[in-house]
Amino acid sequence: MGPVKLPHVEYEAPATVAEAVGLLAEHQDEASVLAGGQSLIPLLALRLARPAVLIDINGLDELSGVSAADGRVVIGAMTREYAAEESETVAAAVPLLAAALPLIGHEAIRSRGTIGGSLAHADPAAELPAVAVALGAEFVVRSQAGERVIPAADWFQGYLATARRPDEILVEVRFPAAAPGTGAAFQEVARRHGDFAMAGVAASLTLSDGSISEARLAFSGVADVPVRAVEAESLLVGEQPSAALFQEAARRATAGIDPPADLHGSSEYRKKIAATLVRRGLQAAADSAQQNSTQQDSAQQDSAHGRP
Amino acid sequence: MTDITVSVNGAAYTRAVEARTTLADFLRDDLDLTGTHVGCEHGVCGACTVIVDGRPARSCLMLAVQAAGHEVTTVEGLAPDGTLGPLQQALADSHGFQCGFCTPGFLMSATAFLGAHPDAGEQEIREALSGNICRCTGYQSIIDGVLLAVQRAKG
Amino acid sequence: MTQIAAQRYTGTSVKRSEDPRILTGRGRYVDDVKLPGTLHAAFVRSPLAHGRVLAVDAAAARDLPGVVAVFTGAELDAMTVRGPDPLLAFLGFGQKTPPDFSLLATDKVRFVGDPVAVVIAESRYLAEDGCELVDVDYEDLPPVASAATALDPGSPPIFADLNGNIISPRRRSEFGDVAGAFAAADRVAEFHLDVHRHQNVPMEGRGIVVSPDAATGTLTVYSATQSVHITRNGIAACLGIEPTKVRVFAGDIGGSFGLKMGGTREELAVAAAAYSLGRPVKWTEDRSEHLAASGQAREESFDVRAAVSKDGDLLGLDVAMVIDTGAYPVAALFVPPTIQLMLPGPYKLPALGFESTAVTTNKASYISYRGPWASETFVRERVLDLLAKDLGLDPLEIRLRNVAPSTEPPFLMITGRPLIGVTTRESLERVAKMMDFPAFRRRQAAERARGRYLGIGVATFIEAAPGPRMPGAPSSMGKESMRLRLADDGVLTLYTGQMPHGQSHQTTLAQIAADEFGVPFEQVRVVVGDSDVVPPALTGGSRSATMAGGVTLHGARQLKAKVLDFAALLMEASARDLEITDGQVVVRGDPDSAVPVAEVARQAASGTFGAGVDANLEVDASFDGGESGWSGGSHCAIVEVDVETGLVKVERYVAAEDCGELINPAVVEGQIRGGIAQGIGAVLLERSAYDADGNFQSATFMDYLLPTACDIPRIEIEHLQTVPLDADVNFRGVGEGGMIVAPPTLVNAIEDALAPFGVRIYEQHLPPSRILELIAGAGQSGTSGPHPE
Repeated sequence: MGPVKLPHVEYEAPATVAEAVGLLAEHQDEASVLAGGQSLIPLLALRLARPAVLIDINGLDELSGVSAADGRVVIGAMTREYAAEESETVAAAVPLLAAALPLIGHEAIRSRGTIGGSLAHADPAAELPAVAVALGAEFVVRSQAGERVIPAADWFQGYLATARRPDEILVEVRFPAAAPGTGAAFQEVARRHGDFAMAGVAASLTLSDGSISEARLAFSGVADVPVRAVEAESLLVGEQPSAALFQEAARRATAGIDPPADLHGSSEYRKKIAATLVRRGLQAAADSAQQNSTQQDSAQQDSAHGRP
Repeated sequence: MTDITVSVNGAAYTRAVEARTTLADFLRDDLDLTGTHVGCEHGVCGACTVIVDGRPARSCLMLAVQAAGHEVTTVEGLAPDGTLGPLQQALADSHGFQCGFCTPGFLMSATAFLGAHPDAGEQEIREALSGNICRCTGYQSIIDGVLLAVQRAKG
Repeated sequence: MTQIAAQRYTGTSVKRSEDPRILTGRGRYVDDVKLPGTLHAAFVRSPLAHGRVLAVDAAAARDLPGVVAVFTGAELDAMTVRGPDPLLAFLGFGQKTPPDFSLLATDKVRFVGDPVAVVIAESRYLAEDGCELVDVDYEDLPPVASAATALDPGSPPIFADLNGNIISPRRRSEFGDVAGAFAAADRVAEFHLDVHRHQNVPMEGRGIVVSPDAATGTLTVYSATQSVHITRNGIAACLGIEPTKVRVFAGDIGGSFGLKMGGTREELAVAAAAYSLGRPVKWTEDRSEHLAASGQAREESFDVRAAVSKDGDLLGLDVAMVIDTGAYPVAALFVPPTIQLMLPGPYKLPALGFESTAVTTNKASYISYRGPWASETFVRERVLDLLAKDLGLDPLEIRLRNVAPSTEPPFLMITGRPLIGVTTRESLERVAKMMDFPAFRRRQAAERARGRYLGIGVATFIEAAPGPRMPGAPSSMGKESMRLRLADDGVLTLYTGQMPHGQSHQTTLAQIAADEFGVPFEQVRVVVGDSDVVPPALTGGSRSATMAGGVTLHGARQLKAKVLDFAALLMEASARDLEITDGQVVVRGDPDSAVPVAEVARQAASGTFGAGVDANLEVDASFDGGESGWSGGSHCAIVEVDVETGLVKVERYVAAEDCGELINPAVVEGQIRGGIAQGIGAVLLERSAYDADGNFQSATFMDYLLPTACDIPRIEIEHLQTVPLDADVNFRGVGEGGMIVAPPTLVNAIEDALAPFGVRIYEQHLPPSRILELIAGAGQSGTSGPHPE
């Protein structure tokens, strides 16, 4: 037990991204970037984080927004979680993200929390990092030197640690648009509605003529970074959805994980529920994919018959 | 210290603040608007909930300087002339609260939620208010009050 | 039937007079109090569970601009008088008993969060900056982090003036023929049951503002307290000044549940600091220090032997209890005797053996939490279910079999109390009806076939709210006083020492007074929270319904008689022919004679009447509880357990309660539901967690989890209103019952849900991971044994 009032900190509120990266170049790791603040401000209040400078990027309107182009959905880093939740583009083209967003905390958290902020904070128990890893999202960072694009597999480097260099700012995240016939689910076990999950599963399946043509599967809360279940994904591709298949996928996905223990659950408990979540997540994704395939089939039939 | 001007309940306030001052402390200490309560200061209990630009927000997780140029509504703004608004009246009629410490946070969360979802049902309301903690009531009387407000608004 | 003159308000859910201010953000809680020149306090606290304090260097803190003073534990000790805990002193335990300890830690720290120094600064932010600069040199000592360690005579002593860490050595009592009961039993079962540490956690923590006036040598105090007089006396004793020099106000209080008992170490330290500095000092406890240091409750373990016949007659219980009182024990010492007294509950139980041992450990102090003795119900109601399973009996059946009969004279608990006002059989039958047990069992079987695990659990309790008067003895709750006055403006004003913190006393007492006196509800004002003006009292023990309700009723009656005597002069009528209706004094049968009560009051205050006329329209009333009895009831819950994740959903919860006559049903139901929510929280979510080294692990709301609106179902309540016991006052309390009986109700339901796995549950805290452990453990050994150490 300790303080809950923030310590002294210098404050900058840049008006442009150029200004922001200039400040980061100057202060490097003495600075923390303040986006939504829902994770950073409690750390400051509890005096667990002691930056010398806060760089508040809430004024950077250019970093807000959702757009779709070239089979990708691009989300500006300062897009609020609630705005992404309300976005029709996200709902249609990134169903896994749409499934995860309502699970983030509570309404008030999603009012302020941002897509980029959550992904840059990189809490392995959070939902968005698992989604990013499952979908192979791309992270675009900018510094005075220019831009880099970092794939999700390289972005998450450790507990609350990412590939972002101290002089870089995350400007946008690019998600692949889901193919037709895709269904997605995010399932987690949390102590209460809205809490950080003890383990979570991001699952996305694409069905083609009844078999799985693409499978994406990742965990939250089972390691110090989100974990993509690559072996389970390979097992699934080419197969027909079935309970037995998902059971085997669960076994493979959890074979190599060794989750951390904490007050809320032991390592063994988290491993157990992770397996359950894989089964349930894949089933839900499959059900959703079936629905989307049926709709798509009937739409195709309609167009074949000249119906709108 | 930075000079900021914040619009709270429709009135503009200009004050000098340290960057580290939270919006919750600014409202309570600098503006003497003590209706917003502080329950945990780490963003979990919801007692400090206010409305910022139409959305519910935990004022302990915002810095006062971040509210500059934005519209903040606190519980004092719900009944500026002292007459209870419809949500407040419904909660009075339902014996919604006991000690009252969580009350302003619930009022602001519910106001924001009903504004966007005027026809919400019980389960949606419970989920929407699950980020506000009450230790006295067991929630049923609060939910009943909010449902009563929904019903009355539908006429 | 009660003889309230006109029952217009009593028994109805009158809307609260508190609500207009509460709902508009105009409540005045202690942190809302702002005085010019106020300084702010923050405490330097021990990061160690057990250690010696070698040195405290506050120089850098004192030098920080904005820091006005730093007081170390030693400095405060020199400035203050060590005395008994203020709550104990108020209750009549004036002697300071071992262990001896100072206000803040001086030579030793004894739990994580133990306050070592206080920093006084221009703002709380600056005070916390100052705390970081106080350099404390500690020597680590081996921690005593569990009762088991404390019981070991070799454990490092936490207090030098105690013989080891056993505060109360084991003492045994027997009631009835214990040996005989066990000899005659068809079956003797043994269990070890654990209740885990959890805590009050009101939404508002502790807080105090102390404002000294050097000119008069007085202190004005604003406090969150369940008794302004306990706070007053505690501060006065600590500072070595007369209580008349201290005036304590309390405004709105954000919950307490037994926490804010008036004079905790930090509050007294703030008073001493303010007095010394001659400036107002405010301390508002933050959530982190609240969770670590305000106190915790319920950590008890029980070895139970139960003697039972093959048909399910509970012939005897033999219980050995250990209570972990943490460091600086105070309230814990009341708990074992009360548990002993209450263990038989409303059952026949003809024999009871009981022993208890209290130990001190390096954890936060054990304090009162809503129904401090609640473990007696947990133990008894768990044991009945466990025995029922062993014997193949239904849980309702075993309870109905053992419930004490309604006899005249009333059945005596083996521990001596008569079961007056107890309707256990009726409440059990009522919940059975509300739930339809046979239909549930059919549904349960069908769902089990589909791999879903539902369970039902029932439990029953009685609470002494106020409990029966023992023959020839004063009320177990002492007396309650009240001053009632018809103010000059005609407002019936009640001055009560009750200190509401959510109980709506300003509404309920006004209802009774309005009915008894004859004025509209709006013409009654209830004054609370001023030690210069209200009689000494405390709110606690679910006393207010009977004690404050009763003194209101009788006081209003006495005042009415006085007012009518005076009005008789004004109206030239006989007092016998007068009544007060709807705020008017009127000659019975002659409506034109009506004189507003306000006019009568104005005349009395005018001074136009001579010395022979008693125009002082005021009475000092007191009430000793009348002829009263127990409150009680039965609760029943249906749960579903997800056996793959361990998550538990409470699907339905019903309660049949009996508190006699209800003053305000909405208030009664609110108290019951709030208590049940805390009980559900205790079982599924809440634990005050320490590791094996005494490090505190639940210092934020991310680790100490409170139930939310998604965790508490609708709770259906039916009221059984017993045959009245007293000619006038039949309101009994309900404040604590929900929290007492909900945990065993829920645990019984969970065990029932997991019956197919052979799970037996001997503990109260069942987070999801524990549920899976219990299922896995049962699978291996056939049944799950007691929770391993």
